[in-house]
Amino acid sequence: MASGIFIVPILTLLFGVEIHVAIGASLISVIACSCGSAAPFLKGSLTNIRIAIVLETATTLGALTGVLLAGIVSTSFLYGLFAAILAVSAQQMLARRHESIAMNPPAAKSWATRLRLHSSFPDPVSGQALAYQVGCVPLGLALMYGAGLISALLGIGSGVLKIPAMDTALRLPLKVSTATSNFMIGVTAAASAGAYFVRGEINIEIAGPIALGSVIGALVGTRLLFWIPASRLRIFFVIILVLLAIQMLLIACGISFFKGSP
Amino acid sequence: MKSAEDPLTQRDQTIAALLWSGTWFASALIAAGILVTAFQPFLPPVEMPLSGRPFSGRDLTAAGIATFILLPVARVALMLILFLRERDYLYTLIAAIVLAIISAGVLIDI
Repeated sequence: MASGIFIVPILTLLFGVEIHVAIGASLISVIACSCGSAAPFLKGSLTNIRIAIVLETATTLGALTGVLLAGIVSTSFLYGLFAAILAVSAQQMLARRHESIAMNPPAAKSWATRLRLHSSFPDPVSGQALAYQVGCVPLGLALMYGAGLISALLGIGSGVLKIPAMDTALRLPLKVSTATSNFMIGVTAAASAGAYFVRGEINIEIAGPIALGSVIGALVGTRLLFWIPASRLRIFFVIILVLLAIQMLLIACGISFFKGSP
Repeated sequence: MKSAEDPLTQRDQTIAALLWSGTWFASALIAAGILVTAFQPFLPPVEMPLSGRPFSGRDLTAAGIATFILLPVARVALMLILFLRERDYLYTLIAAIVLAIISAGVLIDI
């Protein structure tokens, strides 16, 4: 899960940062984490860069729409939408992801075949190439448009929509799905962050340290994963997500228990 | 499995190298900016070459953030060049569309 979903609630709820400033800082952090962690996936031949660039047409278009909507939607709506995304993320974290890999030969006229998206990745145990087919590209594009829109509006990586798009619509193997999604998040966030930066809406004093901390956190976190049991970590994050969702929903309704909250 | 000589693997390695080096460069700029801001009161004033205004750690941090924003865009541009070199014109066009959408987002509000 990307760090973005935690940064906006932490900045707004604990530090009283204005939500638009928090969203700008979070977008830079999302880019930093995406770029910093992309190399190992690429070197392991797990990232399908063709799928990534095809889906990025939809995510960047969604981000462009989000940038245009950002000036129109109210702060209460943003808090409410964030609460909903946090709740769905908690539910997704509890439910284990599953692979639904297609075994039939690929349809000759499908978008995936025409775009040459079917590929393979190396099995970590045997080293053999494991072939996979790509599913419904139009549905994947539609979900990715939504992911780009939510990313620009809330400053997050939008894994909440990318997971169903990658796993269910495109039917990618989990490792390929994770690597390709992570690869795309940076471009999606850059599409909106670039627009916000040019408009002077990125607070340098806040975004700089947050981005640097995210890169360091991602490096340390990867090592910590070997020491902390995944099941405990999952429960811990679910509890945090639910608590943040409740607090964001209360603010959307005009109720705040924190002094720093808007 | 793809061999080390596989052009597709080489393409992935080139993109990985850009993202890895870019992340370190941007992070170093931001870290330097934070340090300069912290020690600014103890440092002699330095003027910017063109504008003549005083140089600050904030400028370095802003440059680091701009580098982070440009890094994925540079990655799409690199992919466009690599697809073009492979004479894969369909994917060259798709990469160009992504770049055009990103540019539109930046230009629309100016």
